[in-house]
Amino acid sequence: MDVSEQDRAPVRRPISITSIVDCVGSLATGTLHENLYLLDSNRAGGSTGQGTPALRTRVSRGDRLLWTVITLECEAFAAIEDIRIDTGVCRPERHTYPDSDVAYWTATVARDDIGLVPYEITFRIGPGEASMTTPVPPALIGGTSPD
Amino acid sequence: MSQQLAIIVMIDTENALEAGTLRGNTYLVDNMRRLGSRGECSGDLVSAVVGGHWSNGGQAQEQILNWLVGSLGSVPLTLPRNYHSHRVHRHDSRSLQSLGRLADAGGANAEDGDPLTEVRRIHREFGARIGTARGRHRHAHCDRLMDLTGRIVPEESSRRGDPVHSHPAPVLVDLCGEAVEKKVIHPAQYGSPDQDTDGWYWSAAVDTSRPGTYSYTMVVELQQLVRGPAGRTWRPRRMSHKARLNVTSTPMRNGFTGAGIGYLPVPSP
Repeated sequence: MDVSEQDRAPVRRPISITSIVDCVGSLATGTLHENLYLLDSNRAGGSTGQGTPALRTRVSRGDRLLWTVITLECEAFAAIEDIRIDTGVCRPERHTYPDSDVAYWTATVARDDIGLVPYEITFRIGPGEASMTTPVPPALIGGTSPD
Repeated sequence: MSQQLAIIVMIDTENALEAGTLRGNTYLVDNMRRLGSRGECSGDLVSAVVGGHWSNGGQAQEQILNWLVGSLGSVPLTLPRNYHSHRVHRHDSRSLQSLGRLADAGGANAEDGDPLTEVRRIHREFGARIGTARGRHRHAHCDRLMDLTGRIVPEESSRRGDPVHSHPAPVLVDLCGEAVEKKVIHPAQYGSPDQDTDGWYWSAAVDTSRPGTYSYTMVVELQQLVRGPAGRTWRPRRMSHKARLNVTSTPMRNGFTGAGIGYLPVPSP
């Protein structure tokens, strides 16, 4: 059976967006300001703002995005509670890694030429009810948007 | 003992392997920002290590540094170190159960009635097999690829390029450089730097009696997927990256009485 050209094409690598949360700092100050660092795996593709809360992730239509969280101290807990973004661009959904209780969020970019699309991430931090939102919005950028 | 000091080393593995360097592909974050660390989440972190001393100048308490290495192109550090191995074992169990059911039914329960097609499906789902550059010795969690959502990657040899996969976690194999040579830090490795046990993390006690800024070098081993005559293998690649410590020492102060380094339990002037 012939395999179509599309079937043989290499699969594009998902773009990982990692949030590094200083749980002790954020619980002590009540804010993620200076306690949150964002990184993505697409610096070579044009992402900017690596290591800051104002990450600009360069995307194209069909790109799969994966949001994960790590904490500065391995004993501390932080998780993504919600991601709010224009649903016409992508619809983030929460999933769990198989055989674990660790969650990740994923979405597929629906359009090219999205310009600059800011979004918000809300984190649950620590063992209590503390929820905090990104102090400045990160964004997805696509098409001819300026950085 | 004071709070343990943590340094997270995040490596953009895909780009580091392509460029052949950690420069520009490494981001360091510590939990000492409020103590004066500079360059958070950059490749040029200067970690503040604030020690304390008694009236006789002796070091009052230990400062302990811990390094933890992660990868932007891998499943997160929050998953257990043996997650990949565990997923391969679970996956193999399910494949064996499928074969068992096929055998028990004499092939009658194959999806399209052809037992050979079902066997081929199970074989493909077994996963893309990977060897190691070390020869026949196989590491259970590395002989199959896992993707970024924890699923075992099926064998699809018809596709061009390598399957999308979660990179094996980078392993810190050595801490060296000025701070070690001058015995400002005394590093110790917990675990073993090979793919089976994953070299958990490094710790170092700090001699804060000699304030100053000292550099240190991290040697990290990444795994690159390469294709050869015998199929795909993992090839280890070692790269190094420098960072710095800014060691200071201040007089100890009693948090309850406010007393300083004098002999009386009264607040210092």
